[in-house]
Amino acid sequence: MMKTNRWLFLIIAFIAGIGLGLAYGWVIDPVDFIDLTPDTLRADYKADYVLMVAEAYRANPDPGLAARQLAIFGSQSPTSIASEGLDFARANGFDASDIALIQELVTALQAWSGIP
Amino acid sequence: MKRIPFGILLALLAGLGLGLVYSWVISPLRVVDSIPSALRADFKDEYRSAIAGAYAATGNLERAKARLSLLSDPDSIDALNAQAQRMLASGEFQQADQIAFLASALQGNGSAFVPPPTPTAQVAITQPVIPIPSSSPIASSTTLEVFTSTPEFIPTQSIIIEATPRPTQTVIPTIGAPYKLIAQESICDSNLPDGLLQILVLNASRRQMPGIEIKIAWDEGEDKFFTGLKPELGNGYADFLMTPNFSYTVQLARGSDVASGLTAPACQTSNGDSFFGGFKLTFQQPK
Repeated sequence: MMKTNRWLFLIIAFIAGIGLGLAYGWVIDPVDFIDLTPDTLRADYKADYVLMVAEAYRANPDPGLAARQLAIFGSQSPTSIASEGLDFARANGFDASDIALIQELVTALQAWSGIP
Repeated sequence: MKRIPFGILLALLAGLGLGLVYSWVISPLRVVDSIPSALRADFKDEYRSAIAGAYAATGNLERAKARLSLLSDPDSIDALNAQAQRMLASGEFQQADQIAFLASALQGNGSAFVPPPTPTAQVAITQPVIPIPSSSPIASSTTLEVFTSTPEFIPTQSIIIEATPRPTQTVIPTIGAPYKLIAQESICDSNLPDGLLQILVLNASRRQMPGIEIKIAWDEGEDKFFTGLKPELGNGYADFLMTPNFSYTVQLARGSDVASGLTAPACQTSNGDSFFGGFKLTFQQPK
């Protein structure tokens, strides 16, 4: 009986230790994230970046340049990145003129990349 | 005296260690919804470039300021100037130019906003988005100005956009006033390299301007160089080594007075030794 209690206490202590470790590592002092890549950006920042590229594209209509600028978001195609930005802009009440700019960029990228 | 439960302590510590390994190494919190200030330095540069590109296209300084604040740079102007210099050094002249302009605008020289030269294609993309006049009379009237100013344009662009553009997008940018040569002095300083031509470029507020292209020509050739590549001497500083007995002409690429007939002057030290001096030119944008 005594031996069973001892094992029970050990297991409880072990599980409590795991719990404490997880709480410390995930809540109290989680890994500090610096030097992140743009694909981790919040959707609104991504959409604003797409808008910046669209604004610049209006003045310098070079779809290749715009595609390179959007390529920082990782493995997605520039067209889908811009399309996601457009969807976000439409869903979140962006100014109509800004939506038009992004739409223009999306259309140009579709034409540039051969997407019908 | 009660015995210390070493076994339980050991189990607790083992569990704690396992929990930490799992939460820090095996499965750390996944980063989503990060903010621009957490980006790696090179991606922050990309972000600044995009901001500067958008500013160069729209001239919307407030929006550029708001975007720059997301990067949490201690000093946005310094960060932009430093990036412009890095880009100049790596040959990315157009982007460096845009970033230097944004820095200049943030320094309070908003009137100096001069978008980069408009390529022919810029007009071409403006034309397809011409709205149907009946649905957007304001935009139509603005667009007519563009037609007037570019009569040679043939609207053959195949991309059709149905959305209504912002009328402000079709405003033809004004060109900034050309820089004035406000000082030209010959320098006889034996501590300086022979034939050193020093150039300082200031904006209307007498702030030094980085990223300004300078053209220099002589009988047998020409070259170009930029301000800001020696930040330790000032963001608006640039220099060039003149060959003795050659005559040089200097002008800023974006328009300025011309300094001509620049020949390294013959100088003498107090000991009577001969050496070639140089010139110091100061250009400033008029108010």
